Amino acid sequence: MSRQTYFFLKQTARNLKQSWGTQLLTLMTVSLSVLIFSFFLLVYINMINASERLGDELRLIIYLDHEVIPEMQPRIRKKISDFAEVEKIVFISKSEAFHRLKEQLGGEQDVLDDLGADFLPPSIEIYPRRNLHNLTQIKEFSDYLATLPGAQKVQFGQSWVERFGYFTELMRVIVMLSGILLILATVFMVSASIRLTVVAKEAELEILRLVGATNTYIQTPLLIEGLLQGIFGSSLGLVLLYSIFLWTKMHLHGPGLFSVLTLQFFPVSTTVMIIATAILLCTGGSFASIRKYMRI
Amino acid sequence: MLKSFSEDRPFIDITKVTKVYPPDIIALQNVSLSVDLGEILFLTGMSGAGKTTLLKLICCMETPNKGLIDVGGYDLSKISASQIQSLRQQIGVVYQDFKILPRQTVFQNIAMPMEVCFTNVKDIRKRVDQLLESIKLTHKRDTVAGKLSRGEQQRVAIARAASNSPALILADEPTGNLDAEISEEIMKLFTELNAAGSTVIIATHDESIYRNTEHRRIELEHGLFSRQTQKKQLSLTGLMS
Repeated sequence: MSRQTYFFLKQTARNLKQSWGTQLLTLMTVSLSVLIFSFFLLVYINMINASERLGDELRLIIYLDHEVIPEMQPRIRKKISDFAEVEKIVFISKSEAFHRLKEQLGGEQDVLDDLGADFLPPSIEIYPRRNLHNLTQIKEFSDYLATLPGAQKVQFGQSWVERFGYFTELMRVIVMLSGILLILATVFMVSASIRLTVVAKEAELEILRLVGATNTYIQTPLLIEGLLQGIFGSSLGLVLLYSIFLWTKMHLHGPGLFSVLTLQFFPVSTTVMIIATAILLCTGGSFASIRKYMRI
Repeated sequence: MLKSFSEDRPFIDITKVTKVYPPDIIALQNVSLSVDLGEILFLTGMSGAGKTTLLKLICCMETPNKGLIDVGGYDLSKISASQIQSLRQQIGVVYQDFKILPRQTVFQNIAMPMEVCFTNVKDIRKRVDQLLESIKLTHKRDTVAGKLSRGEQQRVAIARAASNSPALILADEPTGNLDAEISEEIMKLFTELNAAGSTVIIATHDESIYRNTEHRRIELEHGLFSRQTQKKQLSLTGLMS
């Protein structure tokens, strides 16, 4: 370690010791801001992942007036494929629909005893390609399918997909807002903390100037303070988030909605990005405060 | 020694300097003075005579309204911020109000000018211990400065000014709070520092510390040089008639 670095670190340690109360408060604020932001970001990312998985299972069903004769099927296939790329198109006859239902009912099959095998309408199941995940696109596709000859009704779990889409959109807005909160809170708190340090050390800074301290000598420890706030504040926030994540994963694992949500934590790159951003914001706040409140 | 200084000229050259504080308090009026390298100079006079102002002008704490000041080859009217920092690193100042940091230890206070210059840690320890011995405060090395008496704080201020072995030492009433015995020790310290190469300017109204010296003395009165006793003849203008 060079002699300069030694003195900078020594001066930083002295500053931290002198104003540990303020430093602790700033650290908690940075941690909390990072925690709030990264929590919503994590939820959002997991929802995006879930929507991708749901997209894989997305299918549109056209209920028809009457069965499509095999000769007509290629024409209908072409009409559908011309509008959007599809993975698979399956024609379901009345009897196939009946058998499926029977299988689904399992032990309760006897409820179908009084009904004929042709009481269910024939249908076409369409499995779109993954590029058709946008709700608007799905709706457009659904509207188009409804115009096909013989189409009675088109279903794709519209209300569920819509709700999921709106919720994802809401999460996106929350992530953005919490991001702004992170920026404002971090910059403001670090800047205020450095300002308090500057005010508390006014006499010392004056003497330092009088004995010939350079701007680098005076500013560097304050910038290091900001840097440390960023490193420790964001790390603490992420450790807390990871604990919450593990707890959630352990306690909410099971059937239902959470079977769709295979929870995943941030990849290393995102974690590093969050820490780097917090460091940048804290050091920036520190720098802004130094420029504003110190007579250099 | 200051890098830009050439020994064939006065170490400090003050030419027709006037300093007026708002609204119209004349602290110094058309004062000229030369100080040679290695000299000990006493500035005497009553309170408000302009002694402190003159010291502040020399160490760039104030700027003159008129006139030129050259210290160690630096023209203070044209000096840059980084040159001021460099110059201050080579000037040790004992302030009238000490400017001691009360929450830091005696050691930390004295070490500060050396830390600013990134001096080797071992050298800092050695030098501080040496100075503590000179000012008889070795036993208070790790005491918080705020707990010292005024006399002790003044000695710490003197040790801090001397710590960097500066080319120039400016002392404003350095014996103001000290008893006769300690004052004598302090003067001995200044003499030692002078012998080691520092130019020393002492502003004082304590007659006992300059009475029996053969060093040059200039008396200030209402911002003008009123009288001088000198070891050697120097040109002085601004004298009261």
